[in-house]
Formats: sequence, C-alpha cells, structure tokens
Amino acid sequence: MKKERNIMFDQVCLYLGQDLDSEPCKIIQEHLQVCDNCEIFVDKIKKTVKLYKTTNDCEQIPTQVTKKLFSVLNLDDLCPEGEDCDQKKHQH
Amino acid sequence: MSYPKVDYQDSTIQVSQKNRNEIMNEIEIVKLAVQGDRAAFAEIVKKYQGRIYNLGLRMTGNEQDAEDILQETFLSALQNIANFAMKSAIYTWLYRIAVNFGLKKLQHRKKQYGHIDIDDPDTDKLSHEALHDWPDFNERKVNDKHFQEKLNEAMMELPEKYRTVFILRDLHEVSTVDTAKILNITESNTKVRLMRARNFLKDKLEDMLSHEEL
Ligand SMILES: [Zn+2]
Repeated sequence: MKKERNIMFDQVCLYLGQDLDSEPCKIIQEHLQVCDNCEIFVDKIKKTVKLYKTTNDCEQIPTQVTKKLFSVLNLDDLCPEGEDCDQKKHQH
Repeated sequence: MSYPKVDYQDSTIQVSQKNRNEIMNEIEIVKLAVQGDRAAFAEIVKKYQGRIYNLGLRMTGNEQDAEDILQETFLSALQNIANFAMKSAIYTWLYRIAVNFGLKKLQHRKKQYGHIDIDDPDTDKLSHEALHDWPDFNERKVNDKHFQEKLNEAMMELPEKYRTVFILRDLHEVSTVDTAKILNITESNTKVRLMRARNFLKDKLEDMLSHEEL
C-alpha cells in the first residue's frame, strides 16, 4: 500500500518539474482528483511558483541603469525615452 | 475539492499570428544587427535589458552585480554579434552569456550561503503535513516589502544550479528545451532541478507561514 503510494508520488514529483498546467501524464491528473495529499501538495507548489512570479517583474530596470548601459555601449543617441536620455538625444 | 488553476502557458506551444509577426520582425532586426547596424542592436538591447538585469539580480541578489552582468553581457554581445549564426533565438544566446557572467560573479564570492542539501520531496513527510491547505495570498501580503525580502532570502538560499533553473523556468517562463540549451544540461536534468527548487521554496514558504499570520 505504502509502496504503491510512493511510486505514485514519484510520478507526481516528475510532473512537478514540468510546466504545471501541461498534461504530461493523464494518470497523474486522474490521481490528483482522488488523492487529497497529492492534490494539496501540488496546489502548494503552484501557489509558491505563482507567488514568486507575481512578486518579480522581469522587465523592470532602473532608468539610470539603462542610461549607463547605453553609454557603455556607445549608443547614447539611441537610448530609449527617458528624461536624462532625451536631453542627450536633442544634443545630437 | 477544486483549486484555481495557475495561469501558466508554455510559450513555445502556442505561437499566435501576432507572435509569429513579432518573431519575423525580430529575425529581421537581428540580421541587421549581425551586419553591424547600431540602431538594430539598440533595439535588441531595449527589448532584453530588463530580463538580463532581472536574471543577474535574481542570480546574485545584488543590484551592483546585476548592473555589471548587464553591461558585460551586452558588451560581449556587441563584440561577438557579427559571429552570431542565427541558429538559435537571440535571447537564448544573450541568456547564455549572462548566465556565464553571473556564475563568474558567484564564484568570486566565497560560498556566502554555505552548502545546502536539496533532496527530493520526502514521501513520509507528505502524509503528515500536506493535508494542511494554504490560503490564497492576498494582495496586501504579496505587496508587503518585508514578505518580499523573505521570499528573496529564501531564493538566495537555493544552491545556484537550482536557483538559475527556477529563475529561467518559472520567473522568466523559458521553456524546458531552451533552459537546457542555455545551461548546457539535459532536459531531464532541467526538470529534476526545477522540481527540487520548487519543493525547496515551498518548504521555506511553509516555514514562513507557520511563523506568522497571513
Ligand atoms: Zn497521492
């Protein structure tokens, strides 16, 4: 009984290394419907991932950092809109 | 019991017409940049600077290091773009450069966070603990600066090889295939590392939640 559960749990774990909403294994999806333990476990992992995702903005970068970067690359004249960069743009 | 689905999508699976146009447009821009077009290169920088900066920030946990990695990455890209063969997407190429600079930064630091063993989820623990459900995190909690710091600290406790996979796969939504290419590891290795990283962070969060009222 226990061994069986462990085997199933191993499968659930493999599933956890994938895209969580993909369907790598129908059996796992079916098992999650009937097994509270695994379902809650997977739900917690999903909530963890979602929490990290929503508290992290991949695109955010300070204006000063952008400005310096374009300067280091000798691309000041092509720096995107921004107060400091705009001044440089007008000078060109 | 039913739980709300996390809105995740594998970007490589569904390529809409709009995405297709964007990809075509990007190929044109990259072609120009390879030929030495400054404006085209600047477009690439504009498009990916945020992601490269974030990657460095999450890898090192340090803004100055993130800025260094950002500059080193695009300087290196500028010097080498003429040799870019266009066999992969430009972003996987940029990510690979950035990850390598990130690793160098981390090597300079003397194991600041020590060794931590990361195991697969514990089957026995599961049967005792899992039955306690978690609430959905409300907006106030998610925006709480102190809580965010705690989350970042937990992520920095992850050994680098797991952290980087987590950043690419879950924060930047890079596919398994591309993550494996960027890190030069196998796809199954990518999945195992991701699974361990997620489980580690889940356990950390479990600790946090048991110590405070959400
Ligand atoms: Zn189960």
